Amino acid sequence: MKHDEITCKRLILESLVEYEDGSMPDPDRHELERHLAHCPPCIVFLKSYRATGRTLKMLKPREIPKNLAEAVMSFVRARCDKKE
Amino acid sequence: MPEDQNASDLDLVRRIKRGDDQAFREMVDGYNARVYSLSYGVLRNSEDAEEATQDAFLTLYRKIGTFDESKKFFSWFYRVALNAAYSRARRRRPAVTVSLDDYVPRFRDDGHAASPEFAAFVEGAEDEAIAKDLAERAEGFIAELPDAYRDAIWMVDVEEMKPADVAETLDISIAALKSRLHRARLFVRQRLLEVAAVPKAGDAERRVAR
Repeated sequence: MKHDEITCKRLILESLVEYEDGSMPDPDRHELERHLAHCPPCIVFLKSYRATGRTLKMLKPREIPKNLAEAVMSFVRARCDKKE
Repeated sequence: MPEDQNASDLDLVRRIKRGDDQAFREMVDGYNARVYSLSYGVLRNSEDAEEATQDAFLTLYRKIGTFDESKKFFSWFYRVALNAAYSRARRRRPAVTVSLDDYVPRFRDDGHAASPEFAAFVEGAEDEAIAKDLAERAEGFIAELPDAYRDAIWMVDVEEMKPADVAETLDISIAALKSRLHRARLFVRQRLLEVAAVPKAGDAERRVAR
């Protein structure tokens, strides 16, 4: 791929997931990295894409309600009353 | 999800089918946190997520006989869990959907990304307090996504589940999952940019984005 074949649009809209998850074939990856080295807008886009990823990782509930397993067991037992 | 995990799940499944209550208890201990977390992604409320978790395990208990043992247990059970959460969500709120096409990145005529407001967001996301605030907002933005996109981004980016496991759970191809994931990320990213941008510099951009 030549530089002008990798428009930013193609990088951002079609290739970024594969680039980020490591599934992109090496030759394509090298081409993209050459593009990135000469394209500041794509670099900032990539940074914001990664910042989005970092932000999302903060959302996972860290606190599971205490006694959730007990609550589930009581709930199921109350409705099933042992074997059906 | 490793193969040996599936093997131990299957062992529990068979014991539960035989009426072994201890096996059910072990299943609850092993899966309640993940099911709660998946439910929370749909419902964004701890009380509702707890109730959806209970619903999911009740369904597991009642319907375990319908589980096809040639399939992976987790993918069956996560679907049960998502269904329980969505069922509760439908009772609670009207469906809100956005057009993802309104949130794809904008490009200049020369094909380069047009993104004057990136710096504020990228820098903000590296400051812990601001990042926390952005994360809270991101949770709201994820809630605006159509269900199929919300499931993808929540399971991969928030829960950090393996894409192959998520694709199996959602019963779609890896390629379809990646496509949904990417569009969901672009949407959340654009919405985060809107709130993180310096107001005077971002006004015109935001009007376009809406």
